[in-house]
Amino acid sequence: MSQVTRRVDFEVDAVAGDARTGTLRIGSQELETPNLFPVLNFYGGGTERSVFGGGIHRTIKEFMIGADRIGGGDYSEYFDCTMTSVASLTDYNITHERYQSYLDTPIKERELFEPYNGTLFVDSGGFKFLDGGDIDGSDFEVDIDQEKIYEIQKKMGADIILNLDHPIAPDDSHEQRMEKAEKTALNIAEFLDLSSDFDGARYLTLHGYNYSMMDAFLEKITSIVDTREIHEAFDGVALGSLVPKKDNRELLIQAVTDCQEVLQDWGFDDMPLHVLGISSRAVPLLAALGVDSFDASSYLHNAINGKYYKSMMESVPISEVSFEECDCPVCSSELHRKRMRGDAEYQKDIYGAVAVHNLIIQKRELATIRDRIRAEGTAPLREYIESTVARDKQTRQVAHKVVNQSLGGYF
Amino acid sequence: MKKAPKVNEVNEFLEIASDFEDPLEVIRESLSNSYDAEASEIEITIRSRPQGSDIIIEDDGNGMNERDLESFFDLGNSRKTDSIGYKGHGTKIFYKSDRIVVNTAKNGVNRRAVMDNPWEKLNRKELPEYELTETDVRDESQGTLIKITNFRSGEGFDPESLTYNKIHHYLKWKTIAGSTAHFFEDDPREMDIRVNLGEEIDDTRDELVTTSRLEFPDEQLEPSDDEFPAERMCKHYEPREIEVEYDGGTTTVQIVGMVGGKAARNELPTHGRHSVQFGVWFAKDHIKVEQINETISHDNEFIHFFFIVNCQDLELSANRETIRNKSNPVFRAVRDEVEFYMSKVTQDPWFKNYLEIRREGKLKRRARTQESSLQDRRKSVTERERFEPSNRAEVLLAVERASQQQAGFSLQVEDYQPDADIQAIVRHQGKLRNAAIHHQLTEHFENESPLEHIDLIIYWEQGDPTKLNEVERTGYIGGEIEIDHDSGSITYQRDGESSYIELLSLADVFKPKTKAIADD
Repeated sequence: MSQVTRRVDFEVDAVAGDARTGTLRIGSQELETPNLFPVLNFYGGGTERSVFGGGIHRTIKEFMIGADRIGGGDYSEYFDCTMTSVASLTDYNITHERYQSYLDTPIKERELFEPYNGTLFVDSGGFKFLDGGDIDGSDFEVDIDQEKIYEIQKKMGADIILNLDHPIAPDDSHEQRMEKAEKTALNIAEFLDLSSDFDGARYLTLHGYNYSMMDAFLEKITSIVDTREIHEAFDGVALGSLVPKKDNRELLIQAVTDCQEVLQDWGFDDMPLHVLGISSRAVPLLAALGVDSFDASSYLHNAINGKYYKSMMESVPISEVSFEECDCPVCSSELHRKRMRGDAEYQKDIYGAVAVHNLIIQKRELATIRDRIRAEGTAPLREYIESTVARDKQTRQVAHKVVNQSLGGYF
Repeated sequence: MKKAPKVNEVNEFLEIASDFEDPLEVIRESLSNSYDAEASEIEITIRSRPQGSDIIIEDDGNGMNERDLESFFDLGNSRKTDSIGYKGHGTKIFYKSDRIVVNTAKNGVNRRAVMDNPWEKLNRKELPEYELTETDVRDESQGTLIKITNFRSGEGFDPESLTYNKIHHYLKWKTIAGSTAHFFEDDPREMDIRVNLGEEIDDTRDELVTTSRLEFPDEQLEPSDDEFPAERMCKHYEPREIEVEYDGGTTTVQIVGMVGGKAARNELPTHGRHSVQFGVWFAKDHIKVEQINETISHDNEFIHFFFIVNCQDLELSANRETIRNKSNPVFRAVRDEVEFYMSKVTQDPWFKNYLEIRREGKLKRRARTQESSLQDRRKSVTERERFEPSNRAEVLLAVERASQQQAGFSLQVEDYQPDADIQAIVRHQGKLRNAAIHHQLTEHFENESPLEHIDLIIYWEQGDPTKLNEVERTGYIGGEIEIDHDSGSITYQRDGESSYIELLSLADVFKPKTKAIADD
């Protein structure tokens, strides 16, 4: 059982229906919730000189630290938190030497990343190491198990970590799901032992598409790890396995609603809830349901596909954009407008700028959402959803459902 | 040289008047005119006459001066700008008659206008004229009386087809009598309406009395405690005014409505099928014009809804039956906004609960029917003397029973596909055999199932022997067939190929065996 003094605290300061705003404190780190962790690879094959590389990730990191290559500037407010995955280390075919050099200093202790002071969430990469994978470098392999994952998370200097999990897939049978739950449970037991001196936040992964699945998952977990220990050791819950279903909003909403009910029935509802790997368009709805944080890579994936956000709900091809209409620092910079119009030596500088613009749009919308939650009553947030998510025909029904369920309805 | 295009006045009159066929439209136009004239009471009388119908309209409105009378008879010369009949077409409906008399009092002057044989003259290509006489009157009374003699309805619109019920429905659905203005205005103009039909038309009551308000049935948010729990459920949706932006400006939409079960809806003066009466109505001047049910998503039956969407910027066709120009930006923006609003209604938890109660009611009723049919089935099981299959699956059960109960019967079903032509593979006397299974043997031939590849036909009983005889007589699927009832077999020959098929009648297997009498 954990012996360290808890440095983690989650405080709710306002509610609107089921939605809530709060502050997640981890040591000296403070994060306003609900909040979106943009997915970012800190290590992408390069060296310190190239901000550790990673193509578009490199440019985004340059924004994050206000590097000269992107013309400087302070973008730190949009990087108040990030999500990175242990699994990203497998993406770049690195040498063993480089792998070791990546892990020799925690991210936030590197001089290069000194301007970055956001909350760092390091995922276990369960979705990639499913059923015994490994980190595959150019001249080495590292077998991945719970111990290894925790070691990497710690070396990266994570503020929030997850146990190594075995996410379920939509076609899994009950037996397969139970087998995965058991493997995850064994990892949890080991994770809690290993990380007893970890001074950041530990999140418990939870898998399932509905109440019964999640309940069965928790039954399995608690048959191996004592319920009280789970409650005391974990600081938050991360709902996973929804990536293959992320475009099915109906199912996403159902899963999150059921998750909250399960957490309540198991007495875990005082912990912050994170939903792993969502599409950013679901953000307003998840916030309305009372989810405290989420991570998404859509800001950069859309950028890579040449999509520029007009709002959280609307994107347009970059070729059709008049950047003057946006007052974000990226679009206000002559240099980046030029680059986004295609006048750049590297693709990453075009799309990296678009990605950061996209991120800023998302972050601004989240600030609006938090303001609406803090305002009197449920009407401000309801009107926000009514004028955004509900206007999109694809998400309309589910938006109404959330309004009815969490914000007192329209009539 | 500039030339002005000409209008053929007579043809125009004919054209416009011909557009109106239904005497109900006379009622609609009269109500609108009286409403515009700020009348507080209007009485409409209709009598059926051999040549047409006589229609009398009397109101206590502002009456008409000479200029108003001109507008009444002129075409496209309405003096009204912000009222219902601004096109100046409505009153031209009266031209389809033998005589129009207008008696109207305004500001101490009584005016009488008479037009004789307007319809006959128009058809003779002659523009009918009216005679106007004015007399001073002492009292300050005002109002208008219009008498139309022998109004000619269109084909199929005889006054005899009118009933109070039909008129009541029409008033509330198509005229200012079904106005929803009172939901939106603090002090709306009100009008008492009386309609009097001659006894030759409808003698079920003396008259119809109503107002110019559409009122929804009382709310009932909870289900009833009977067999049809959702039928009387009803919820009102408060009036809402929504500003709608369109390409080129903004307009205001006023929406009010209800959702309700059949019984609740029937408290309104419905007439005929609910599908043509309920759903979402677009309106102008708070008079419903056209159902735009596509604003309710297709998985929600529009029949449960009665919503009225008023927008003064909609363009209507001359006879006010449809919205004109559905591609214009105003209509499109309004439709999209209404679709959005209705999506909120269809997601309203109350509505979902109503549908659920309705579904549960249906399931409960079905369970009750099942219960009674189960009772019947149990009764027949108790009363019958022995097990007797009535379908193919029960024939299979009979096979299993025979295997267990009848000594010497050796047959097991190893495989069964109910939809295949040859439904079963059975093990018979140690060998696998292809078997067709039927309740009656005749079914095999009725279904035109092939005989090739069949080793055995298993059935409960043979069915109508004459049908089998006919098959033998006329042949089967291009081949010759012989059924040997004694040996229990079929021989089938086609294209030089011969098939031998064994027959197994299970009824025979279960036949009580006659005990051998000891031969002593």
